Amino acid sequence: MSLPIYDVIVIGTGAGGGMAIKTLCEAGLKVCALNSGRRLDPAKDFRNHKQAYDLKYRGFGDPRKRDRYYHVETEYTEGLWEHGIAYTTAPGTEWEWPRCHAVGGKTNFWGRSAARMGDIDFKAASRDGFDVDWPVGYEEIAPYYTRVERMIGVASTVQHRPSNPDGDYLPPMKLRCLDYILQKGCEKVGVPYLPDRLAQLTVPHEGHPACHYCGNCTEGCDVGAFFSTPWFFLPLAEKTGNLELRTNAVVRSVLADGNGRAKGVAYVERGTKREVEVYGKAVVVAASCIESARILLNSKSGRFPNGLANSSGQLGRNLCDHLYGTTAYGYLPQLLGQPSFPDNVSSSQVVWMPRWQNLENPRAEKFIRGYSIYPTGGCGEFPWYHRQLEGFGSQLKRDIKRYYPTPASFYCQIPSLPSPTNYVDIDPEVKDIYGIPAVRVHFQWGPNELLMWEHAQEVSRQVLAASGGKFWGAGARPNTPGFSLHETGTCRMGNDPRRFVTNRFGQTHDVPNLYVGDASVLLSCSDKTTTLSLLAFALRASEHLVENMRRGAA
Amino acid sequence: MAGQGIERREILRVMALAAAASQFPGFHRWAFACGHVGAPPGAAKPAAYTPQFFTPEEYSTVERLSELILPSDGSPGAREAGVSEFIDFLVASDPGIQYGFRYGLTWLDARAEEQYAKPFRGLNAEDQTVILKRLAYKDQLRAGEEEGRRFFNLIREYAIMGFYTSRVGLEQIDFPGLKIYSESPGCPHGDDPEHLHLPPPRY
Repeated sequence: MSLPIYDVIVIGTGAGGGMAIKTLCEAGLKVCALNSGRRLDPAKDFRNHKQAYDLKYRGFGDPRKRDRYYHVETEYTEGLWEHGIAYTTAPGTEWEWPRCHAVGGKTNFWGRSAARMGDIDFKAASRDGFDVDWPVGYEEIAPYYTRVERMIGVASTVQHRPSNPDGDYLPPMKLRCLDYILQKGCEKVGVPYLPDRLAQLTVPHEGHPACHYCGNCTEGCDVGAFFSTPWFFLPLAEKTGNLELRTNAVVRSVLADGNGRAKGVAYVERGTKREVEVYGKAVVVAASCIESARILLNSKSGRFPNGLANSSGQLGRNLCDHLYGTTAYGYLPQLLGQPSFPDNVSSSQVVWMPRWQNLENPRAEKFIRGYSIYPTGGCGEFPWYHRQLEGFGSQLKRDIKRYYPTPASFYCQIPSLPSPTNYVDIDPEVKDIYGIPAVRVHFQWGPNELLMWEHAQEVSRQVLAASGGKFWGAGARPNTPGFSLHETGTCRMGNDPRRFVTNRFGQTHDVPNLYVGDASVLLSCSDKTTTLSLLAFALRASEHLVENMRRGAA
Repeated sequence: MAGQGIERREILRVMALAAAASQFPGFHRWAFACGHVGAPPGAAKPAAYTPQFFTPEEYSTVERLSELILPSDGSPGAREAGVSEFIDFLVASDPGIQYGFRYGLTWLDARAEEQYAKPFRGLNAEDQTVILKRLAYKDQLRAGEEEGRRFFNLIREYAIMGFYTSRVGLEQIDFPGLKIYSESPGCPHGDDPEHLHLPPPRY
């Protein structure tokens, strides 16, 4: 009996995997896509149009389960996040890692901020002497950014910011009352306040409907009005007839043949725990940053004793993440007692304060590189600010009503710098319930990011004051590492096979028919979110693979 | 709120049809999960509620405290929103807070007995308010009443959680998420970006 040999096996159906699947299928290649979780059904699985009073615990979740909940998981998204697959942390590491293993991965719930990186990021090492430049300059990747923006739809404005190349945008989200007030404050302090780059459809786009501004995007969109691979890419891939999608396939390893080429993938079926092998002429690993590293580190053989594509020893190294945290919160007295207004139209993702530090002089601040801030506020849902208001009775009801439009808060997005002490490896003791050795995370915030955290708190407080706002407080400490879901590194790309896992096309240096197609190839996380960049690089990698297969070179 | 029922569902259904061209084959059911099963929220509750966690005496104190914290004062309050039932349900579901509630209710009765020789629920509204005021305002707190203040903050927190996640509570703050919008709603005060000349506060 001969098993089918696919052209390409793609591991993962999130942003990077979805892009690879779509690109390869449209190029006429037969693709077998493996996803470790199930397909979601928006009608059943997305509860974004439920009101708090429709839910048993009013959205607060079953208290007996709360220990197992991550911050991102609520009663609205319960059951959609991964808890079955174990990971461990090294002593001293705190790592909070919300994972969605359903088809589409984190694109089902992502924050939708979609800014391009630029040469200030790619050539940062040349500017400040830290680490290495990316093997790709902006000119080279810009056309891919444009194509990705057209595929997914990004709403923003042309802003001419030195740190933020402009793109091809849909009309922006409109500014809210609080935005105009905070924008004035930012003007006085001398920092930018602009519409975010938001992958949310302000107009119908490519057959997808415009947003209806229900404000619950992070609970999944049941009409597909923002980019996610189940709504945008997988239907296009299915239409070609070239895709076979296998769900609940938990990958154990990538299989190599005697010539050092990838020949297939071994996985465990989630329900039955049956061991399965699937064969292909090429493999794309896009299981998300840490999972991709884990799969390759677990792909050991006589020829590859340290894992597949790891002759550099860099597989799993250089793990970066965004430091998130509330840098200030308070209220805007100007809006006290005003009627309620639909401020939370996009999970509050409307504006940003894009990087303004170290633009001219890369060492102007006490830290190198830079960060961005996302301000938000206004009428949300639950009046969380009640703790700021004393008393009870009619006065309390009136105060809660009066303050409803006024809250304002600032959330930072601070890149960690690559560090030799931040990495993942395989836990020598622990296996997950499928018998696959667990990944172990080693991670601490470094001094550069903590200096930025202090700086961001100071500036946020200044902006609030300059806007006429009153300060209530700030996060006592940054969020736990892992929380931002913006891991990068572990399979960094570079020209030197001794120092990097893949070349600048995402093709591994050691195994020519093995590609990496997710954020693990990015050299650092910068102040921008990772999704748009990983999509652009995954598109480029996929086309490189197609071309190589045509020429018989991969 | 008007528009929350059939109308909103209809709009969503039409939007879903607009998206059908690019429908992922895995997504085959298009019933929207916004129907309200059972009695409409805010409908009259059965007269007698059997608490799951609190004793009948404790429960009547919880009921009374909820009403003092969020009174029915011309607009709906804790009573209309079923706040005490919500508190009882959540406390029954959460072993981690049961001691805090039970201890706090005992503390409150002990304080009332000491001062008025009656349990808290037996006091008139005026005396109940006197006790609560000392716990509610930092500058009125007396030495030795810190535990009472902690309990007041706890039950106030849960009362607010119950009220502002109920339909009547969300209507009271005019929660904008009870509607959907055909376009991105922008600030209506374009000529006053600093918002220094807004109409006088309505609330």
